[in-house]
Amino acid sequence: MNLLETAAQPPEPPAPAGARWWTPRRIALGVLALWLLTSIYMVPADQQAVETRFGAMIAPRVLPGLHISLPWPIDRVTKLKVQQFQRLVVGGDISDSVLGRTQPLVSQFLTGDQNIIYLRVVVQYSVGAPVDYLFQAQDVARATGAAVEAELARRVGRRSVDAVLTTEKAAIQEEVRGAAQQRLNDYRLGVRISTVNIESVAPPPEAADAFRDVASARADSSRIVNEAQGYSNDVIPKARGEAQQLLEAAAAFKQRKINEALGDAARFNQVAAEYARAGEVNGRRLYLETMEQVLPKIKKLIVDQSGNLDLTIIRKGAEPPAPK
Amino acid sequence: MKLTKTHYRVAAGAGFLLLLWLTFFAVRETEFVLITQFGKPVRTVTSAGLQAKWFFQTATYFDRRLRIYNPRPSEFLSRDKKNLLMESYVAWRIEDPKRFVETVGDAVAAEMRLHDIVWAGLSALVGTHDFESIVTVGAEKLHAQEIFDELTQATDRAALAQYGLRVVDVRIKRLNLPEQNKQSVYARMRAERERIARQYRAEGEEQALRIRADADRQREELLSAAYKEAEKTRGEGDAESTRVYSQAYSRNPRFYKLLRTLEAYKKILDDKTTAILSTDSELLKVLMRGESGVQ
Repeated sequence: MNLLETAAQPPEPPAPAGARWWTPRRIALGVLALWLLTSIYMVPADQQAVETRFGAMIAPRVLPGLHISLPWPIDRVTKLKVQQFQRLVVGGDISDSVLGRTQPLVSQFLTGDQNIIYLRVVVQYSVGAPVDYLFQAQDVARATGAAVEAELARRVGRRSVDAVLTTEKAAIQEEVRGAAQQRLNDYRLGVRISTVNIESVAPPPEAADAFRDVASARADSSRIVNEAQGYSNDVIPKARGEAQQLLEAAAAFKQRKINEALGDAARFNQVAAEYARAGEVNGRRLYLETMEQVLPKIKKLIVDQSGNLDLTIIRKGAEPPAPK
Repeated sequence: MKLTKTHYRVAAGAGFLLLLWLTFFAVRETEFVLITQFGKPVRTVTSAGLQAKWFFQTATYFDRRLRIYNPRPSEFLSRDKKNLLMESYVAWRIEDPKRFVETVGDAVAAEMRLHDIVWAGLSALVGTHDFESIVTVGAEKLHAQEIFDELTQATDRAALAQYGLRVVDVRIKRLNLPEQNKQSVYARMRAERERIARQYRAEGEEQALRIRADADRQREELLSAAYKEAEKTRGEGDAESTRVYSQAYSRNPRFYKLLRTLEAYKKILDDKTTAILSTDSELLKVLMRGESGVQ
């Protein structure tokens, strides 16, 4: 006690011994209660837990809910987020795809036809068996990555670069997933690989333009084929039309010829019938009618039957020499 | 100071606790424990849980979990003397702590030993294959499961006997070419791509020409067939009309001759014609002689 305090306020009355709530016995009981409380634990809905007693596993898969164990440190509980997917990247870092960069040495793979190709694969996995996941390997992610990488290199290494770049991508993903899962099961890692996804596959930058040219060559090729197809589609229907036109014209010609012939014949027959009835008169009439039509147009010289014909007259009167 | 009964009791309790502490120990699932007595290994505890030992013995803990060791990528020579950069991984764990602690001691030293064993194995493996058969499309030779199972087993035998290590797996993680060879590979890749691009273009050209030629052929075929058919039809028309005419005319040839001759006059005689008509002619007889001219 110093002087200042004594001056400022009156001294507190000493608390009666019986009113103290913190007796050593109570403290001991409190600590004991707290210690016993460590035996109650809760597993959240998205997790599972593994319980160990003195280090030995006694409950491999504790499902979500409230549970009781022996208090710490006899029993220990390790909780795992079994449904959460974990990502790992083979052939680069997780940040690579965001930053748009590639690291040549870690992403280069050798294809079966001795081409170098850049691959980045994203693996998603989750906890399959919590006990194995916790106790079997020092570094589960590293082991998973190694297994996937080995299977990937093996699958890429027996395919041609074109197959890897185009058609076989899905097959590689599926094969790698299956084989890596098999391998991890052999190691008893308790990991379940859900997807192996080839995130990027590209030719090396040193040869990228040549690869692009192949793509444009393919496009060129299909373009000229399409143009030729267009030509074909234009020419053939037109030719069909033209052919049809020829046929129709011929059919028309035929029908016209026949009809004309029939008409002419019918007319002739009619007239011939009349002619047969009075041949002499009709013959003369026809002759005279024709002469009426013909003679007005032409130059005529009328000579007497008995007189001599002086042919010079003809030469004077007409430009073309008269026959004989 | 005089030792009271209480003092003795406290000391006895503390001694008892110390004895408990020295006797019992917990072994986790991830561990092996090696019990040593004055530095000499006595036994190995492999089962997890609460275990007991004599208080004068010491427990040493070893991680029994699987570890992945990635040796540095190293170059190997194939049988035909070509360089190949190979990256492998080794999955291993401590199997026999006694032997482990006697021969290697810690994980780093163990990995150095593993590196030597695996390097020798891989080197022998690559050395018995040609480059072309290691990196090839289709049939896999070097990557075949059995070869690596064998390598794993051989490595495991050596490592277990010598160092107490269990080798679970040895695999190739990556095949690549040494830096100095890559430029020529890129050049070859470029050449290959150029060849393929040319081939695509030429094939496209080929197909296009074929389509055009086929179209032209079809066109010619269509038109000529139509011409053939059309001429035939025209011929039929001509033939039919001729038949009709001849049928009609042959019934009355004399009249036909007359009629046709008169028709012909109309066409033959035009304004350039000069006709010399005799007064004796059929037409002019009447002109000269009057009615007596009519026969």
